[in-house]
Amino acid sequence: MFDGIHKRVVSVWLPRLASDRALRVRAVDAAFALTLREGNTDRLYCLNAAAESVGLQRGMRFADARAFCPDLISQPARPELDARFLAALRQWAQRYCPWVAVDGSDGLVMDITGAAHLWGGEGALLDDLRARATRAGLSVRLGLADTRGAAWALAHYREGTAALGASQSALGALPVAALRLNKDVTIALQRLGLRTVGALATAARAPLARRFGREVLLRLDQALGDVPDPIAAPPDAPHYGLRLTLPDPIGLVSDVTAATERLLTRLCAKLHAQSMGARRLSLVLRRVDRGCLEVDLRLAAAMNDPARILPLFDRGITGLDAGFGIDQIRLVASVVEPLAPLQISHTVPARTGQLEDLITRLGTRIGLDNIQRFLPADSHIPERSFLVAPAAYSTAQGHWHSPRPRPLRLFAPEPINSTGSTPPRHFRWRRMALTAARITGPERIAPEWWLEDENWGRGLRDYWRVETHQGRRLWLFYTPQNPGWFVQGEFA
Amino acid sequence: MSYAELCATSNFTFLTGASHPEELVLRAAELGLAAIAITDRNSLAGVVRAYSALKTLATEQGAQQAEGLRIRSSTQIDASSRQATGDAQNLPVTKGLTLPKLIVGARLVLRDSAADWLALPTDRAAYQRLSRLLTLGKGRAAKGECHLDLADVLAGAQGMILIALPHRNLPHANLTQAARDVTRMQRQFPGHVFWGAAPRYDGTDQAHLTQCAAFALRTSAPMVALGDVLMHHANRRQLADVLTCLREGTTIDEIGTRALPNAERRLKPFTDMARLFRHHPAALRRTLEIAARCSFSLAELSYEYPDAEGAEAPQARLERLTAEGMARRCPLGIPPRYHQLAAKELSVVKDLGFAAYFLTVHDIVAFARGRGILCQGRGSAGNSILCWALGITDVNPDQIGMVFERFISRYRGEPPDIDVDFEHERREEVIQWIYARYGRHRAGLCATVIHFRSRAAIREVGKVMGLSQDVTAALSGQIWGLSGGGADPARVRELGLDPADRRLAQTLRLIAEIIGFPRHLSQHVGGFIVTRGRLDELCPIENAAMEGRTVIEWDKDDIDALGILKIDILSLGMLTCLRKSFDLLQQHNHQTLTLDTVPQEDEATYQMLQRADAVGVFQVESRAQMNFLPRMKPATFYDLVIEVAIVRPGPIQGGMVKPYIRRRQGLEAPEPFGPALSDVTRKTLGVPLFQEQAMQIAVVGAGYTPEEADKLRRSLASFRRMGTIGAHKDRFIKGMLANGYPHSTAEQCFSQIEGFAEYGFPESHAAAFAMLTYVSSWIKCHHPAVFACALLNSQPMGFYAPAQIVRDVRDHGIEVRPICTNHSDWDNRLERRADGALALRLGFRQIKGFRAEDAGWIVAARGNGYPDPESLWLRAGLTPAVLERLAEADAFATMGLTRRDGLWAVRAIRAPAPLPLFANPLDGEGINEPAVTLPPMHLGEEVVEDYISLRLTLRAHPMELLRPGIPGITPNDRLATAPLGRISVCGLVITRQRPGTASGVIFLTLEDETGVANVVVWPKLYERYRRAVMGGRLLRVTGRLEREGIVSHVIAERIEDLSPRLSELGHPLDAAIGITQPQADDAPRPPRSRAAPSARHPREQAKKLFPSRDFH
Repeated sequence: MFDGIHKRVVSVWLPRLASDRALRVRAVDAAFALTLREGNTDRLYCLNAAAESVGLQRGMRFADARAFCPDLISQPARPELDARFLAALRQWAQRYCPWVAVDGSDGLVMDITGAAHLWGGEGALLDDLRARATRAGLSVRLGLADTRGAAWALAHYREGTAALGASQSALGALPVAALRLNKDVTIALQRLGLRTVGALATAARAPLARRFGREVLLRLDQALGDVPDPIAAPPDAPHYGLRLTLPDPIGLVSDVTAATERLLTRLCAKLHAQSMGARRLSLVLRRVDRGCLEVDLRLAAAMNDPARILPLFDRGITGLDAGFGIDQIRLVASVVEPLAPLQISHTVPARTGQLEDLITRLGTRIGLDNIQRFLPADSHIPERSFLVAPAAYSTAQGHWHSPRPRPLRLFAPEPINSTGSTPPRHFRWRRMALTAARITGPERIAPEWWLEDENWGRGLRDYWRVETHQGRRLWLFYTPQNPGWFVQGEFA
Repeated sequence: MSYAELCATSNFTFLTGASHPEELVLRAAELGLAAIAITDRNSLAGVVRAYSALKTLATEQGAQQAEGLRIRSSTQIDASSRQATGDAQNLPVTKGLTLPKLIVGARLVLRDSAADWLALPTDRAAYQRLSRLLTLGKGRAAKGECHLDLADVLAGAQGMILIALPHRNLPHANLTQAARDVTRMQRQFPGHVFWGAAPRYDGTDQAHLTQCAAFALRTSAPMVALGDVLMHHANRRQLADVLTCLREGTTIDEIGTRALPNAERRLKPFTDMARLFRHHPAALRRTLEIAARCSFSLAELSYEYPDAEGAEAPQARLERLTAEGMARRCPLGIPPRYHQLAAKELSVVKDLGFAAYFLTVHDIVAFARGRGILCQGRGSAGNSILCWALGITDVNPDQIGMVFERFISRYRGEPPDIDVDFEHERREEVIQWIYARYGRHRAGLCATVIHFRSRAAIREVGKVMGLSQDVTAALSGQIWGLSGGGADPARVRELGLDPADRRLAQTLRLIAEIIGFPRHLSQHVGGFIVTRGRLDELCPIENAAMEGRTVIEWDKDDIDALGILKIDILSLGMLTCLRKSFDLLQQHNHQTLTLDTVPQEDEATYQMLQRADAVGVFQVESRAQMNFLPRMKPATFYDLVIEVAIVRPGPIQGGMVKPYIRRRQGLEAPEPFGPALSDVTRKTLGVPLFQEQAMQIAVVGAGYTPEEADKLRRSLASFRRMGTIGAHKDRFIKGMLANGYPHSTAEQCFSQIEGFAEYGFPESHAAAFAMLTYVSSWIKCHHPAVFACALLNSQPMGFYAPAQIVRDVRDHGIEVRPICTNHSDWDNRLERRADGALALRLGFRQIKGFRAEDAGWIVAARGNGYPDPESLWLRAGLTPAVLERLAEADAFATMGLTRRDGLWAVRAIRAPAPLPLFANPLDGEGINEPAVTLPPMHLGEEVVEDYISLRLTLRAHPMELLRPGIPGITPNDRLATAPLGRISVCGLVITRQRPGTASGVIFLTLEDETGVANVVVWPKLYERYRRAVMGGRLLRVTGRLEREGIVSHVIAERIEDLSPRLSELGHPLDAAIGITQPQADDAPRPPRSRAAPSARHPREQAKKLFPSRDFH
């Protein structure tokens, strides 16, 4: 018989996790449901209390639900975000006890053995948990018992607490579904008249095992505490941070750099071993007068090579005021990304990373977000055929493929004085008198009708390429629906 | 100087072309083009529409009053009345157009060529080759696709003009590749190959044209100007982009450069083309030369009906068979009237050369008869004395008044129309026989063009335009029940949407525009084309989605337009049921009957119908019909004909029912409209009901010629919309006045015909249906057990579920015996009882998810019976899953096992992971295990389990068990006698209907253990009790009881959803234990009021347990 510390397990069931999460983003004071596409039909995935009270259920076809409740507000469900949210909740719940694991897609399980007294007893712990969850807009159902299975059963089927050693009596009246059995087995048991856990527990075990396999008995034993059912909390995320305490304060740049290098070498070794790269590093220097200095370094690409990172700290370190000296240094990689080791080969040139280094170097001066690059975009409209993105957070995309010639420089349309639907022979642009030499076109581009674009208020445009005797090659357009001539770009 | 457009893609290149063929043709005429070629991608599906449009335009030009050009895709044909319904779009036509010439062609997209090829046949032979070429490509591919290679074209494109259209945006190397293909083609077909050049307004047009000219010179394939048209008008660009999105499965915001950059791929007038091709005028002129060379017209497709084999000429054979048939039908001598009629019909058939058609139908019917497949013909030509004599139909000429003009009109130039219904389970045999007999190259099914209708249009366009699913669902919710029109702005505002919002307004406009667009081809329900020559030379044939079927590209209307004959091979569940009934009668009563030997005009049968005792009877079993029967009191065959025709949406909406009933009941004198018309309208008491009557009124009353009358009938559908009603009205009323009718009578007559427009029903159809109605009610009346057994064995069909059929047969005093492994077969069967009566033994087919094969094994290995479930497993070789189904169905009862014991025993066989010791048992060598006493099943549980497994129960109706707990309700059988006034009824919902004719009124049928109650829910009340009405399975309705004749209604005032009570049946112990369901709220509640609307049985919701037929 078990005679160690008696386990106490809390099962937290978030019955409306998905809809609560969606409603936290934007509250809705009406029947609300999330829908998920299964096969070819949309089905209700999760719904709020208002929707349940008008008689909608999970798994119902969305079309039926609309017919039942015409003003149902809905959104497509995002199960992957729900899973992330649940993982975040798990971390939060570690405030109560260290052993917290995710249970299914909508629950947590916590081993609070020996932790309850810190919160003033089990009741107080549950009250606190419930109050905080409710304040965060989550509906929550809690069960507390000696075993994981019993706690789960209580949370799902009769919210409450089973006193120490009272699992069996607490579970006896619950339906067999409370044993975490799969649906087919549950139904089969119910059809045979074995409706409750109590009935199942008193039935002959051998015939049951023959008919339902060992799963049923295993779950039963787990719930009653006869078979262990441990909670496996996932390990904490690795921490990439190091500290160096100095016996004597230092103040020279070279000393600080040397200290940083020592830390960086060790940190990079750790990153390297785990195939990670730092994207953001911060160096925190504590002065003897308790002042704190911080050097923040954002990298344009994930890196774990100390030789390349160290020079990037130079600028930050040189500008520091060491005061009476620095006696503690901490280096933390606050943002890391996976960085797979590179296959060394003769054919593929090694990644030099010179561009990333340059971007980082420039970024430390003018801000990483201010360095941008052009990306191709998919549109006929010249103004929308490219995107501008921060260089550090985007990758260059393939080649620029355009079926039609596009000018190298594109600017806002500048009107020129001319009439007629063919390009003018002589015109003035930017106070220059120009004479057309060679004209090609027109290329007719109509506005994207699904967007409202005031730049295109003049309707469709006929673009012409005009080479001038003066040497400039311009991109002109004419708007036939609202006659006028404009220059919009210049070819190289 | 003019121009001919040789490349126009219509919307029959599905999800690509953005204009109807009709629109293209009309626009071409307006622009004054010399010719237009409809060239769809590997298809000829749209050409007939263009051809018909051109024909209509030609007649419109000559007509005094333009009726407009109807876009055929925008109309729907109502299957039963054969009338066009829906909001047809009519294009306004202006006068004085010069019509373009139509060139039939296709755009061949090959798998291995850098260019598309426009194939324009120059003569009939070339057309036939094109059709065969496309058939070849389609035969290789799945439905809707066509796999052709350059080699196929090289082998089979003689006589066609071939224009290469190199893909744009090709690098130069591929253009060279295209040139190589052109050279090969040019070598094979010298003088027929051209290089096509199409401007696009993309800034490189002139360069492109110059390049094309250079290649044309090099390949010696002259350059020809093309428009590569995708739309008839620039404003279709938006729709073209939406279609692109649908095709590519993307949304408009992500379409990017796949959108059209401009609207230049439209039909253009000569002046525009001349400007674009100013440096290449010859390319423009060449279009006219090519158009002149393409002399083929669809009118040349002479269609030949297959001759019967043998030396006998078709007409002679027809005459001989008719004479033989009449002699067989009338053993006591043929009345002279029959002789006259037959002679008249035969002479028309002879003049029009349709003898072979009748013979083909005769052959098919003869084949079916030979195989013992029941069949019956109907249709305008179906109820003729010819067809009666040939055995195609069993309705004899005396039973209905035949209108000769409706048979075949000499003027109409329309082929005769015969539909033949076969047993639904055996129709495939007939179809495969037709394929086998005529060959796949000579026989094919007609296509049906599937169009965007409003629901699909809203959903799909809404998705493309990025509307959220809420909005699209609400939009289509607003048009619930309608299927023709688009979204109405007023109703959009009701939804809280702003119709002025730009994106929404665009979406709504696009939805309206796309409605009526063809989407894909599907197969017609049974229209067969059979030809003497090769069918694939008439029209391309493609594989259908269904195994073993081949389909032509044209639909029924296209075929009509070209005067091609088709035979409809349809299926009808009731014929299966009747054949099974006849078989059972033969087997158990030794009584041989066929459709025509069932005793006619049987008194008892009509009395049964007058009592509305019509569950399962063909056509008159619906709620509305049952309601109507006691008022109508049918007493003779023609009454049934009227009954079938009158209780339909059209006549109800047209207000025909009330006057008819009043006259029938003698409350109102019939209005025959004078002595001359009384002949026409007497039979229907002065209420015109049939299309034939409308025509005759016009002929007799208003002095129309039969030809004009037929035209009037056809234009009835477009009457109101087109405002052409005035002309017809004047003509009609003048005619009636001239014949001496008072003005008021004329007005009245016309308004009746006018109201008639949308629902006229052909009398011949009604008669054919009424025949089956009579036969089925005769069997039901005299052999109820036989009828119920046959009906159950023919499921799914008809209006009622097996539960109602079983219940009905038990009400008629027939014993129904449960399913039993030792007595049942797959089919339900009849067993002779000790007292000589027949009892119905339910068969394994009633078990949900059971397979006929397993039933076969059970029967085959039964021997002297099975002692226990295990022996079934070992002897019949059933899988444990099947055994479990049997246990669920309580089929082990004769072995002394209750359902629960049976499940327990079977469960041991089907362990999910058998423990090693039990893995291989031997027969009879069971394992001793501790006895387990399972709690016995409550009656409620048994009932629920019965419903789960069989969807019916023989034990007790759920209401019987629930009644004690629901105070103050009246059993349904007392409704007929209960005092009028407030009353409560309660029952399972078996049907919900919202007929389009009843302006939002919902009819519910509630069933309890004593009978059914009809409940009427007014729209206002529906809004209040929406959820209960829509979703409730068990309802308590409080309201006023009303009675008309023997029909009682409850007009609902209060509706309660008692569905949660049903869960009390399945879980009798739950309430006592006080389990809170996971679905319930977290607040603990008293167990009784656990009104979770989820009447959930573990396996299924009550919804599926107690199925109802909703809004079908």
